[in-house]
Amino acid sequence: MTINHHPPEDLLADFAAARLDEADRLVIGVHAAQCSRCQRFIAAIEQLAGAALEQAAPIAMAEDAFATIMAAIDEPETASTPAPTSSQAVPLLDDDLPEILLRCRFGKSRRVAPGVKMQPIILPGADTSRAFLLWSAPGTRMLEHSHTGTELTLVLKGSFSHQGGDYRPGDFDFGDGEVDHQPIVGGDMPCLCLVAMSGDLQMHGWLGRLISPFVRL
Amino acid sequence: MEWAELIGRVAAHGDRHAFKLLFEHFAPRVKGFLVKTGMNADAAEEIAQNTLLTVWRKAAQFDPGTAGAAAWIFTIARNLRIDSARAAARQARALDKEAASAEPDETPDVADSPETMMVRRDDVSRVSSALLQLSDEQSTVIRLSFIEEQPHGEIAERLGIPLGTVKSRIRLAMARLKDLLDD
Repeated sequence: MTINHHPPEDLLADFAAARLDEADRLVIGVHAAQCSRCQRFIAAIEQLAGAALEQAAPIAMAEDAFATIMAAIDEPETASTPAPTSSQAVPLLDDDLPEILLRCRFGKSRRVAPGVKMQPIILPGADTSRAFLLWSAPGTRMLEHSHTGTELTLVLKGSFSHQGGDYRPGDFDFGDGEVDHQPIVGGDMPCLCLVAMSGDLQMHGWLGRLISPFVRL
Repeated sequence: MEWAELIGRVAAHGDRHAFKLLFEHFAPRVKGFLVKTGMNADAAEEIAQNTLLTVWRKAAQFDPGTAGAAAWIFTIARNLRIDSARAAARQARALDKEAASAEPDETPDVADSPETMMVRRDDVSRVSSALLQLSDEQSTVIRLSFIEEQPHGEIAERLGIPLGTVKSRIRLAMARLKDLLDD
């Protein structure tokens, strides 16, 4: 798989340092799992973080800290229940998903617009952003839009294109308030994306403004 | 004594003496690091203890060929920090809705999942040689900004450069690291 579009480097660094909201972390993580280039970048930041840890000014631990840890070591480990795979409570828009996603919990899928469906991912720690699968029929022309927050998109299947180029499986697209784009889904097959979004979409054009109250993502 | 070797001894035969040395070196540094990045001392103490407990339990998973000991311990502390933030968010939500979390959440975090974090062994040497080629100033600016989460004003003061220059320094350092790692 050739990946042509990657997350911006500062998002990769924020991923490595755990500074991302949970939904954003999920999208970057699924991309990185498929992309050795981004894995290298994350590993480099982790190495720098290790060096920073070595140089951090130590703060004395509680007096009983070591004894507490040794006591915990001698306790039998509570058996962790294996995470359920693919035994989802709700039917998925597509169940041929990356392993990490199959371990997530999903909400019910719903129709967003003609030829467009979404399925939310339930993330307990998500704060300002939310994650979902976005399924679009072949040839779907999305309305021209921009964002009040950020939108992180990872192509899982199919393709779409906009001014920024063509996006195929593994490709990552970053949108924020400055980006105004109108994606068109490739004509051969449906397009399935993993999306993390904060803020709201802003629709443009008379049609967009007309239907904007009905498009809720 | 190399830290990696001590971790290996913990993995091989539960060497408690080796573990004590790891504890004495790393636990106070994990705590110091967490406090420096904004965590209160009690929470940092708890995560530092759990980090070392995890070092004991997962020692066999440590591969000295793919990561330095300190980087590995950093990722353990980081993932525990994510877990505790998630637990706190869940608790706050449960209180919100008065719906005391009936079902425990078992969704693992992506940062914990092995497929995300496994750097291929042949990539490791590329990562280390890229880091060696980065100038001291460039690795410092990345460390201060992304890892120690210092505000730009502080970075400007530490490096003795104008505030307006900090942003472009960070951008250049990140672009250089990216180029060094590229195919």
